[in-house]
Amino acid sequence: MQRDIGCNVVDHLVSRRNFMAGTAGALGFSSLTAPTVAKELEKKQRRVLQIFLQGGVSQFESWDPKPNTKYGGPTRKISTSVPGMHIAELLPHTAQRMHHLSIVRSINTKVNSHATSRQIMETGRRVGEFPFIGAVASKYLTPENAPLPGYIHISTRGLSKQSSAFLGAKHNELRLEGVKPPTNIDRPKGLTEENAKRRDALRVSLNSRFATRGQQALTEAYNSSYEQAEKLMARKTLFEGNMSDKDLERYGKHHFGRNCIFARDLLENGATCVKVTHHGYDTHAENFNFHLEQLEEFDHTFCMLLDDLYERGMLENTLVMVMSEFGRTPKINVRYGRDHWGSSFALAIGGCGIQPGAVIGATNKLGTEVSDREVDGGHLFHTYFHALGLDSTQDHDIDGRTIPIGDPAMAPIKELLA
Amino acid sequence: MSDQEKKAEAKKDETETKSDKIDPTKIKKVSEFAHDCPLTTCRVESSGHYAFAGAEDSNVYRWDLESGEKVALIGHESWIRHLEISADGKWLFTSGWDGQLGIWEVAGQATPIDRPKVEEAKTDEKAKKEDKKKEEKKPERLLNEPPEDAAATLAPTRMIVAHDGWVRACRMSPDGKTFATCGNDKLIKIWDRESLEVIATYAGHERHVWHVAFHPAGKELVSFDLMGVVKVWDLESGKEVRTIDGGIMQGYDNKFAADMGGAREIQFNSDGELFACSGITNVRNAFAGVQTAVVGLFDYKAGKHLRLLGDKGGDFQGICWGVRFHPEGYIIGSAASRGSSGVIWFWKPDNEKPFHTFKTPGGVRGMDMLADNRRLVTAENDGKLRVYTM
Repeated sequence: MQRDIGCNVVDHLVSRRNFMAGTAGALGFSSLTAPTVAKELEKKQRRVLQIFLQGGVSQFESWDPKPNTKYGGPTRKISTSVPGMHIAELLPHTAQRMHHLSIVRSINTKVNSHATSRQIMETGRRVGEFPFIGAVASKYLTPENAPLPGYIHISTRGLSKQSSAFLGAKHNELRLEGVKPPTNIDRPKGLTEENAKRRDALRVSLNSRFATRGQQALTEAYNSSYEQAEKLMARKTLFEGNMSDKDLERYGKHHFGRNCIFARDLLENGATCVKVTHHGYDTHAENFNFHLEQLEEFDHTFCMLLDDLYERGMLENTLVMVMSEFGRTPKINVRYGRDHWGSSFALAIGGCGIQPGAVIGATNKLGTEVSDREVDGGHLFHTYFHALGLDSTQDHDIDGRTIPIGDPAMAPIKELLA
Repeated sequence: MSDQEKKAEAKKDETETKSDKIDPTKIKKVSEFAHDCPLTTCRVESSGHYAFAGAEDSNVYRWDLESGEKVALIGHESWIRHLEISADGKWLFTSGWDGQLGIWEVAGQATPIDRPKVEEAKTDEKAKKEDKKKEEKKPERLLNEPPEDAAATLAPTRMIVAHDGWVRACRMSPDGKTFATCGNDKLIKIWDRESLEVIATYAGHERHVWHVAFHPAGKELVSFDLMGVVKVWDLESGKEVRTIDGGIMQGYDNKFAADMGGAREIQFNSDGELFACSGITNVRNAFAGVQTAVVGLFDYKAGKHLRLLGDKGGDFQGICWGVRFHPEGYIIGSAASRGSSGVIWFWKPDNEKPFHTFKTPGGVRGMDMLADNRRLVTAENDGKLRVYTM
């Protein structure tokens, strides 16, 4: 039995338009040919920047500090650029930019496993194989003629790549291990451009014949990998890490700094969803020293990226989220660590379609449970796509099968939407 | 055994051991003092009358080792990283994660806590249940509030914002006229003990400075940062004069992409030829606490690492927090394991394996030695301050 590993993009343009909410829904499709209009719309292409704090950032040390309480630890809170909103002292630069962001403090996935909680936070589903946020964004927000793959994940070490589920290989993440080109991006030595074109034409011809025998999904997956490779080869310079001294000075010369400069450049050059993973938050020991180190690096670099998106006019069309698979336990263990905790944690979100400066939900005084407006990954998933102008209560159409985009039992957090 | 009997027993032990030769292999607990949350560090004043410990509630506690009276020193806004006592024994210096340095009178007159009279214990079941419900509904104690078993509170004489970020340590100079602090702003500051003014600031570390110590001759200071960079500073010129490689006490966790290292304490031996740093080595999974607890022993003059003093089995997973040179020539280290227990080790300086190992009920996060060189005080992560005698 074969799995559905792709769907015909052209066939689904019409149905895709149907569930794009509002005027932005039709942005960037190939039918828009007038150059000036296309250029303007291209500028307005809705994008996603996902900063994933791998391992589970502590809500007490970031978005929901509880100083002066039993489980608050040594971390104090500081004021932000939004009156009345406080975050942890470990994020002083972000605090001054909270007028661009909002906080959701009432997430409860009810699970403490990295894999399961990550699945809930990325797919909005508790069970089943569903596409990640980036894959859905890739499918519905990426113009046909996009110069880059729709979903690019920059991470310094390997994580699962199975992120597109039934949406097919075209929307799977392209994972880059830092600022370097994917492997085998260069044309083989001895193969001229002319010969490469002829060879590719032969491949397309053979694939077309093969597809007529009912193997369309397979050939499409195969074709899409070639198409992606062509896009990457055409934009090879982007991946060569030629960063200016000024950018490196601002962002930092460490991996995360370079990865965030790279993310900015990819978004600016037409990538739809760029996910940057920052490692080092699974702090079962020395939680406070490690959060101090990791968040210091995150805080400064993330703010440079946020500033650039804002100053370049991209923030209003880019959904920015800073998230983890879960948070960390209120109880501090004997190693000065905090363990896995999916019952009450937080994230920050801003940009496209999001009301800035809001605090959604709350935890109780000790941070041990959600006390107001409980949400889980399903609510957040709907919220992301409503903010991006996509009606996530509609269905995917996979070779005639309909599958709800978001969990039908969940709804967007309306008060978070702009 | 009643409390009185326990005290009498402890007293008897103390009297017996006083007449004996100090023998680390006969170490045993003589008393313990409880708190309702884990302790972070400790210090004992030279007369052995008072012991102090920081706790995870941001307070410092003073215990009268004779009477057991507990006084809450309230003034910091975050946890206490390190404690130091002035050379004259009159002042306690507390280094806080709130960037503040607290200065307190060691024997300061505490203000008794006026508590409502405790009702007599109820006998009938219904009343007992009601009491239990009341207890459960009682709000959690906030920081900067004394716990129920504290008899009194003591306010700081001064609170000084000393560093931008945590103050990780404060150490007195041998002549007692100055002291040094270090912190997360990567700076070392030298302070005048009387005026409490900064008289010099040393910059040069590229990562957080974890600990400092004056050389016994009083002319130089060493500092140890997260990456195991040990700098030697000339106190007269204020210049960095050399660097010693302590990188063996640091590791990069590839999986989690983070650095772990730093000296939790630095101690010189009496003639200043050696210094010992408590910490870790061989980082494997720092985020789960999988690294080896060790004391790094360094030759000061040669400026090189001599050996790592560790567990008999070679791999005690945890962190070594405390270290002391005993006047009889051996080195004492104390550690907290990955689990809930701890250990006190005794090494000869020329042997990396301990000649004696003593297991403690809680993980040891702080250790100090009384002036009698016989008793050790520990701050343990089960909330107990324990006194051991050798």
